[in-house]
Amino acid sequence: MVGLSVGEKHFIQGGIAQDLRSDGRKRLTYRPIYVETGVIPQAHGSERVRLGATDVIASVKAELGKPSALQPDKGKIAIYVDCSPTAAPMFEVVFALAGRGGEELSTELSLALQRCLLGGKSGAGAGIDPASLVVVEGKVCWDLYIDGLVISSEGICSMPLPLLLSNTGIPKVDVEAETKGDDQPEVSISDEEFLQFDTSGIPVVVTITKVGRHYIVDATSEEESQMCSAVSISVNRKGHICGVTKRGGAGLDPSIILDMISVAKHASEQLINKLASEIAAAEASEEES
Amino acid sequence: MAAKPGSAPTTYSPNLVQKTRPPIFKDNDLDWVRPDGRGFHQCRPAFFRTGAVNSASGSAYAELGNTKVIVSVFGPRESKKAMMYSDTGRLNCNVSYTTFGTPVRGQGSDHKEFSSMLHKALEGAIMLETFPKTTVDVFALVLESGGSDLPVVISCASLALADAGIMMYDLVAAVSVACLGKNLVIDPILEEESYQDGSLMLTCMPSRYEVTQLTFTGEWPTPDINEAMQLCLDACNKLGKVMRACLKEAASASQE
Repeated sequence: MVGLSVGEKHFIQGGIAQDLRSDGRKRLTYRPIYVETGVIPQAHGSERVRLGATDVIASVKAELGKPSALQPDKGKIAIYVDCSPTAAPMFEVVFALAGRGGEELSTELSLALQRCLLGGKSGAGAGIDPASLVVVEGKVCWDLYIDGLVISSEGICSMPLPLLLSNTGIPKVDVEAETKGDDQPEVSISDEEFLQFDTSGIPVVVTITKVGRHYIVDATSEEESQMCSAVSISVNRKGHICGVTKRGGAGLDPSIILDMISVAKHASEQLINKLASEIAAAEASEEES
Repeated sequence: MAAKPGSAPTTYSPNLVQKTRPPIFKDNDLDWVRPDGRGFHQCRPAFFRTGAVNSASGSAYAELGNTKVIVSVFGPRESKKAMMYSDTGRLNCNVSYTTFGTPVRGQGSDHKEFSSMLHKALEGAIMLETFPKTTVDVFALVLESGGSDLPVVISCASLALADAGIMMYDLVAAVSVACLGKNLVIDPILEEESYQDGSLMLTCMPSRYEVTQLTFTGEWPTPDINEAMQLCLDACNKLGKVMRACLKEAASASQE
């Protein structure tokens, strides 16, 4: 995938040990993030995020549907991430070897996102509260479809994930308020009124990569090829951990994992602030145009 | 068998299952009992047996409560010609459910990610350098899903790999913990899993005290994270001892 000479490997590892990475960043600094909102006018909310060479589009669509019989007071949320081979020839080549194609990475990312956003099975700790999606209990609810598309990717697994989460976190879904019908669940949707979606509980994912004895955030593909292992930790604005997934590699001592979790909490504050300011800027420029 | 003339054939009439069930605990109810009578920090008794499948290089069968899993390992086998040369071995994992294994028929396809999670859990434990240019295939079949499926699959798979003689750093033991309200419940059954607020699945190598795979779901305040991880590590230690005893038994039985 990434061919590195022995000298380059030593350079990367030595640099990280001295808190100076190849592009001049510190260990816990992110690259600049560019956010554009409203890229897909037909969707209720959409966003495009760029971080380094990784480019991701996410869109949120809401449709009326019937809630499931097991949970009549909650709406439904479906999350799907697509990594098509057009995104990077790497997807096609690497996964063709395993015989599976980019589907496996898509499934993995979708499930990791679901785990972070939807919380436990009873719905507790969810980033998006399904109970706020219900219209008429037992009869009509909103089905939220959150779809992500990886346009270009650098680094196979860890890169798109933190981005995507920040994506779906942020698009303020304009949910239409409707005038209700009578007893029959006849709802007419008004085109003018919109309700903003509550996005304060949505978590951010930080992927901490361990190289040698130090942790870095936002690894490039060369740094990732030198990793011992990586852990993706999703933290919400209250500072609570919403999900942790170890991303393969060698075994880790449990104390190191706890250490990584505390580093992730620290790094996530910086990321949340950065994203919030970027999104505010993007929305302000959208209103002007 | 000839039916007696004049007798009505006995039929099995299924009872209609209620769709909505009341929650098995209420928030403030601290002294509720688990449906199978275990304590909160008590795992199900584990039954392991290697050599379940004759035609495989190695195999194992595991039964924990109602969860029954059979894993067979084939290899190291020659990698497909289409694959690039690699000087380390390859691991290929597949977890599938039988159609009758889940309470609702055909629901096993909800767990597509188990194959890749099994792969990640095992790759840290296997010495891939010892079988270059070849592939080891691990096929897991869940015969009955009774809760805590993936940890049982992982533990069973590492026993099967040991049975096949694949070199590993250590056995991999896996345990999961569910968070129900304020209680941490180890080795949840299917019913408890459907009501959980959060879960932790941890796989570790007991002798090396290293975690190979870790997955948290739901919201976890930090002290709970510590407590849950310690609980899992202790349970993995004990499970590791049970697995070793099973292997020793199998080895001494074959020597006789």
